[in-house]
Amino acid sequence: MIKVENLHKTFGKDVKALNGLSFTANDGEITGILGPNGAGKTTCLRTLYGLLKADSGVATIDGISAVDNPIAARAQLGIFPDKFGLYERLTAYEQIDYFASIHGLSGSHKKQAIEEVLADLEMEDLAHRKTQGFSQGQRMKVTLAQALVHKPKNFVLDEPTRGLDVMSTRILRDYLARFKAQGHCILFSSHVMQEVAALCDRVVIVANGKLAAQGTPEELCQLAGESQLEEAFVKLIGSDEGVAA
Amino acid sequence: MSLGFSQLKALVIKEFKEAFRDKRALMTAFSMSLLAPVMIMVMSKTMIKEMVEKPTVYAEFVGAEYAPKLMKDFRDDNILPLSEAEGDSHAIWEKRGIKITIPETYAEDMVNGNIINIVLNADYSDKPSLAPIRRVKDVIRDHARAIGYKRLIMRGVDVRILRPLNIVEQDRAQPSSNAMMISMMLGLYLLMGAFMSGLATAIDSSAGERERNVLEMLLCQPISTLKVVLAKLTCTSAISMLSIVLMLTVTSISVGFVDLTKIGATFSIDAFTFTVLLVLLLPICIFAGALQLFFAFQAKSFKEAQSTVTMLIMLPAFVPIALIFLDNRPLWLDWIPVAGQSIIMEDLFKGLPIDWAALAVTSVVTIAMSAALVMGLAKKLKSEKVVMALS
Repeated sequence: MIKVENLHKTFGKDVKALNGLSFTANDGEITGILGPNGAGKTTCLRTLYGLLKADSGVATIDGISAVDNPIAARAQLGIFPDKFGLYERLTAYEQIDYFASIHGLSGSHKKQAIEEVLADLEMEDLAHRKTQGFSQGQRMKVTLAQALVHKPKNFVLDEPTRGLDVMSTRILRDYLARFKAQGHCILFSSHVMQEVAALCDRVVIVANGKLAAQGTPEELCQLAGESQLEEAFVKLIGSDEGVAA
Repeated sequence: MSLGFSQLKALVIKEFKEAFRDKRALMTAFSMSLLAPVMIMVMSKTMIKEMVEKPTVYAEFVGAEYAPKLMKDFRDDNILPLSEAEGDSHAIWEKRGIKITIPETYAEDMVNGNIINIVLNADYSDKPSLAPIRRVKDVIRDHARAIGYKRLIMRGVDVRILRPLNIVEQDRAQPSSNAMMISMMLGLYLLMGAFMSGLATAIDSSAGERERNVLEMLLCQPISTLKVVLAKLTCTSAISMLSIVLMLTVTSISVGFVDLTKIGATFSIDAFTFTVLLVLLLPICIFAGALQLFFAFQAKSFKEAQSTVTMLIMLPAFVPIALIFLDNRPLWLDWIPVAGQSIIMEDLFKGLPIDWAALAVTSVVTIAMSAALVMGLAKKLKSEKVVMALS
């Protein structure tokens, strides 16, 4: 479970990135986090990873504070970051192995975990190739595999479908659905409304560094009095600032 | 195996895998260790040739016919008239234009005991002309001295009155210190090698990873930044060290092809020298790696890192050269990195006993400074500034 309470973060003197943001992502649910560019999504996620320190407020992962104990909190997380690069001189297998070792897996246990994640993502034929020259979809698979090889309880994805084709997006979606069924907590940020509507159990809308609305996609549509999530989103963030920002 | 250690091990293994698969970086690292010994060999061969042989010098003589005996002395010293030069060498020496003018009144003045002006006209700033000019002057001076002595003897004066003092020179230098040029070059190359070889790896594993967007991913993992820095440092220093071992091995082989006995010198890298040099340079490799990572991690791009860190290479080249010009070295120079090692290396090459205390102190200081850089960098990687610079 990922819990964010009253987060405040200011950059420089007067750039308020987070202004009292609170939300909870429950186990066994996919929580979508929506917001225009510059709303504070990445700042919020980076606070969760313990890369940034909030000025005030708490961010906890399974009850462990990401501010006070970032290393223990990160151990509970699988992260699919905003920008994902690969170690291009390593093979996909070596790269997944690397992250598995960092998360403390070793020996036959590690080997089994890697085999499992490779099979789950149908990437056995990619495994022993160097990642240089991989397509966007193949890169996504490697990143996903390295983030999930240690079977984290909580999983954070920052715009994972960006640049993916339909097939890759479907693989990702299937995989997330399976994880959800196993009771994992998934936090998912995206700009694609159909995807959020199709995939997420609950949606958190962030604007100006704080919570604008939350609920199931249907609830949000009702709240805004619109039939499409996109229209509801624009109405709920209160402006079309997303275009300008 | 504890989690901490297995994490570090995984980090180190990954760094080594990446470094050794980066052919371009490895080539830079090892090209120097292979080229340096060859350069040392070629340069010392040329130097010895210049010292031992007296190549023919061609000069333009005006009034050669007035001083036949002087001309014979010139010829004996292999200094010949330009008219005798053929083909390319004629063009070369004509361009150099060393001109010796003997006055018409030479014979007459000689008889009368007047001072005779022999004009030597040449470009003294032209480096290849310097040795010929020196030889021309030596011939004229020796010739003049011989005539002077004869005049004194004819007047019944003992020529020894011209030498009231005599210098008895006792050279305490070991035979190997005559090979100063070689050892100085080798010392410089070793320090440069320590600094340069890890350079490409250091930049690639820091600024390069940032540019390839893998640094953020790594910083989000449950590991301390100290381990990340240590793993990268281990790999960078190991490559520098390997390059130095290679350089020493190739040098000890290639020096065998130079006949140093011609200039009465000996130079060889025995097992002892080899070991001491490695012990001496290991801390330098670590220090260089730490310094490079420290700056490369703070650069915003690969390009920026390259230009900043390349400047660091000036350090090892600059320090030993500055030391040459420093006659009274302050004591603390013995202790600081690069300078301390450079001084000990100089003693080692001169065949002097090694100052083990100085070696220990300078090693400890170097390691301590590297540790400070590592801690500083680990702390910096945790700072928000670095994280904000990620995107």
